[in-house]
Amino acid sequence: MSLLGTLGVLTLSVILSFPLTRRWGRTAGWPLAGIYLVATAVFLPAVLAVVSGQSPHWTIPWVPVMGVNLALRADGIGVVFSLIALLIGALVFCYAATYLKAERQLSFYLVMTTFTLSMVGLVLADDMVFMFICWELTSIASFLLIARSGRPGEMASMRTLLVTFVGGLAFLTAVVLIISRTATTSVTQALLDPVWQSDPGFGATVGALVAVAGFSKAAQFPFHIWLPDAMAAPTPVSAYLHAAAVVKAGIFLLMRFSPAFHHNLTWNVLLVVTGLFTAILGARIALEQTDLKRLLAYSTVSQLGLIVATIGIGTEAALTAAVLHTIAHALFKSGLFMMVGLIDHATHTRDLRRMPQLYRRKPWSFAVMLAGCASMVGLPPMLGFVSKEALFTGLLDANGAAWVGWLALAGAALASVMTFGYCVKMAFGGFVDGTDDRKVHPTEAPLLIVAAIPIALGLPLGLGVGVFDTAIGLAAEATVHEGTPEPHFALWHGPSAELAVTAVIIALGICFAIWRKRLWRRFERPLTPFDGPQAIQYLRRGTRRVGSELTSLTSYDHPARHLIAIVGALVVLLGAGLSYLYAATELPASRGNLNRPFDVVLLGLIAVSVISVCRSQSRLAATVSLSAVGILMTVQIFLLGAPDVGLTQLLVESLTVIVIMLVLQRLPLRFTKQPVRRRVRTAVIAGLAGICAAAATWTFAGRRDRSAAAEYFLTETKGLTGGYNVVNVILVEFRALDTLGELTVLGMAGVAVVAVLSTVRTRLLDPPPTRDPNREPEATPLLRPRGTPAFRAIHHAWPNVVGLQIVVRFVNPLLAVVSALLFLRGHNAPGGGFIAALVGSCIVGLMYLSTSRDRQIGPPRMPLVLISGGILVAVGTGVWGLIAKGSFLEPLHGFVGGAHLTSSMLFDLGVYAAVLGLILVAFNLLGASAVTGEHPRGEETRERADELVEGELPGPLDTVRGERPARVGPRTSFVTSGRRPKEPGR
Amino acid sequence: MILAITIGVLVSGGVYLLLQRSMVRMVFGMSLLSHAVNLSLLSAGVPGWRGDPLTDRTPTALAADPLPQAFVLTAIVISFAVTVIMLMFAVLGHNDDTYRMPATGETRDR
Repeated sequence: MSLLGTLGVLTLSVILSFPLTRRWGRTAGWPLAGIYLVATAVFLPAVLAVVSGQSPHWTIPWVPVMGVNLALRADGIGVVFSLIALLIGALVFCYAATYLKAERQLSFYLVMTTFTLSMVGLVLADDMVFMFICWELTSIASFLLIARSGRPGEMASMRTLLVTFVGGLAFLTAVVLIISRTATTSVTQALLDPVWQSDPGFGATVGALVAVAGFSKAAQFPFHIWLPDAMAAPTPVSAYLHAAAVVKAGIFLLMRFSPAFHHNLTWNVLLVVTGLFTAILGARIALEQTDLKRLLAYSTVSQLGLIVATIGIGTEAALTAAVLHTIAHALFKSGLFMMVGLIDHATHTRDLRRMPQLYRRKPWSFAVMLAGCASMVGLPPMLGFVSKEALFTGLLDANGAAWVGWLALAGAALASVMTFGYCVKMAFGGFVDGTDDRKVHPTEAPLLIVAAIPIALGLPLGLGVGVFDTAIGLAAEATVHEGTPEPHFALWHGPSAELAVTAVIIALGICFAIWRKRLWRRFERPLTPFDGPQAIQYLRRGTRRVGSELTSLTSYDHPARHLIAIVGALVVLLGAGLSYLYAATELPASRGNLNRPFDVVLLGLIAVSVISVCRSQSRLAATVSLSAVGILMTVQIFLLGAPDVGLTQLLVESLTVIVIMLVLQRLPLRFTKQPVRRRVRTAVIAGLAGICAAAATWTFAGRRDRSAAAEYFLTETKGLTGGYNVVNVILVEFRALDTLGELTVLGMAGVAVVAVLSTVRTRLLDPPPTRDPNREPEATPLLRPRGTPAFRAIHHAWPNVVGLQIVVRFVNPLLAVVSALLFLRGHNAPGGGFIAALVGSCIVGLMYLSTSRDRQIGPPRMPLVLISGGILVAVGTGVWGLIAKGSFLEPLHGFVGGAHLTSSMLFDLGVYAAVLGLILVAFNLLGASAVTGEHPRGEETRERADELVEGELPGPLDTVRGERPARVGPRTSFVTSGRRPKEPGR
Repeated sequence: MILAITIGVLVSGGVYLLLQRSMVRMVFGMSLLSHAVNLSLLSAGVPGWRGDPLTDRTPTALAADPLPQAFVLTAIVISFAVTVIMLMFAVLGHNDDTYRMPATGETRDR
């Protein structure tokens, strides 16, 4: 329960970061640090249990089907890393409370607390799936903490994300492999599985994957590039994440999985070589740096390299040393980061070349800095000395030939010499050698005190390092799984090889300190011609180039090429399939009387019309032929015994023609002519497709009896629903979910039209006539002179529509009644929501056509209201059915005054509204025709689209949707007048 | 089966138009294709039975299969929505040539 309680308290800290930062701003760090101490107190029973040899755990099933649990378990390393995360976290929060700008700083505290939660979750997790999720959460949190630091952090955070996610993917692969091989998601059980001994090849593969994951977090070569990048984040983030927590997550992972791999040679070699190489490389690059924070970042890279190499050795002595150095490093490095933040605050620079001489002004800071550096270089009596000695012992302990250990020790010693070098550079460069005379601000006492705590702790801990014996023994036990090692740490071991090496390092370091000015210049030349970010940049550019080369093989802006591929595939599939079918099987005989004489007449007429659509170069003629096909289709559908479908087809056809005509007025009169060869080729493809389609229909249709579904609907509909019109009942009751989806599609089509049109600027959407490359001169037919009826009929639109206007007065009410009747009788006779809505739309169409010039039908926002209202009503009906009958969209029946009413009529009403909304959008937006020369002052399309969302406006807006300011913002104004809209900020 | 030939004619016309340059012709092609698909859906319900599926007027033994009819009814309305969207794209910048991109103010390489 202690484990769960700890995580609970940490979750609470995430939630409390909202009110605390609102109340106290940046000083919310103090109460949050208090909460971390509470969490530590709650965690204490678990620590005591671990010390007394138990391993407290807690489990609830999470995804029982896959055996995934939410499992927590505390053991030696879990406890060590949890305590590091909690205690350093508390310190950093105290520091941040003074360090950060006096603002609310919600995102800082929110992400930091989330990070701690996921970090502690990671180290206590006993389930690999849960562990992986916590692992990724730490990646995301560290990404966010870098990204929130403004412009310099942008690219850096993306690079960090890239690198850590590569590691995440490797870890995920490893987890999947382990789970599939060991058949358990429990970390403890998986590590005890015999497979690691019996199948070293599998162990090597998984080990390499885990190592890559660990390297990516612990900033090992070549993943080390993200850590200096991450220095864009503010100092408290670096002090916590980049010294004590997120990089230690990588170390933790390697330690956690060490029991499985530490006998595996691949693992040993990979870790030792990478670790030592990184240690040397990091230290060498650190020498180059003049920015204190970047110097510390590379120093972290180097120190972590030493730890990784020691973990790779895999013996008890090595792992105990690794754990001890992890603790020591977390302490001195977080302190040093905080010290750099303090210098930054005092001098407003972190660059050594611009540093004033600080040691006289800030003796205490200098002392703390020296102590921290002493711990890092491993001077006695600091904790760093003991841990580095232990590291050397661990490295010497390598299995195999004796020279391996000595080689490893030599590498570590080289890195340590350079460590001494950059520590000298940091302490002396930062405090002694500066010459700049910039203003030095006074130190804020809390910053110094908080920064000094972890550094100063190194002294007593170094003297009394024996207190760690039990704890680290237990931690090492968890990483080795072979008996309990009993390490004895002490400041003085008596003369030994390690001590001699340390003495040499210190001697060389002192030489370095003496000749430092001459040496620095030599070291500050860059080692490589490019740095990590540039390398990633090259990589990204290369990937992009390869990607665009690959896509260019298939990418065309015009759709014909893609369509040829699709149609061609269909032809090949049908052709091959059908010929096989004819050759291999005998088709069943046709059933019933499939052909009627009138079908032939229709075939002839349809063929003529289709040819006419295809051949005509005039847009108008093609439209007329197309509508002829539509009408003939209607007849065919009626002949097939589908009155509802036929009615729908007829109405849709007439509305389609109106919409096409609206569009045509803005397009050239004729189609572009195609070359003959292309036409022939297209015709051949089209002919083949037609033959295949015909053959397929002939083969597959009409060779069975009416389906069982048809029998069911025809016999049961009346009894189940009380309706006679089976098709309508299917639409609104049996398959109402389909219809709901369909009316949503309709509505969204309307919304999509609005959305697209309002993202295009008005000058591009409706180019002015002078700038329109597609514009053809207005046709000037040979007419009789001005004043004659023929002249008037062409040039004055108004008299043309008088007749229609009179007719509309009588016809529209009639249509309204018809629409209502069709709606009401839908259940029992041809009609229903769709057909009624289409008749209603015809009213709209007639109203639109009967005006002499383009004019919006209905209030501007009505179409979207109708669409959303329709969908809401339909969904609401469904929910009503769910509540009343326990099934979504189940219709409810009732009788009101003898009339049979069902809730499916309400559903039909939703259908009605959505259809009408789409039609209104189509007419109002596609019909807008401001720029015809004749009516220069009409409404433009963009204005209509804006009005659909914003209500009545005096002109189009000059911002586009999806652009910042995305909505009508403070910078928005009308294109025509330059005025601002009435309600800005909406 | 004559319906099969009708479907073939419609598909040919549809595919021919779909492979043209002009967006409006492609829209017409889509219309013809959806006619063809609607007919083939209806013929999947066996065109031997052609009575209206209104149970109070047509004997059950003669009625056509109502299920494909319901499908086709929704298909017709959906194809109308598709037509509207495609026509909207056709008039962007008063240009329906699919070989030339209409200027929309977007940079292409995003």
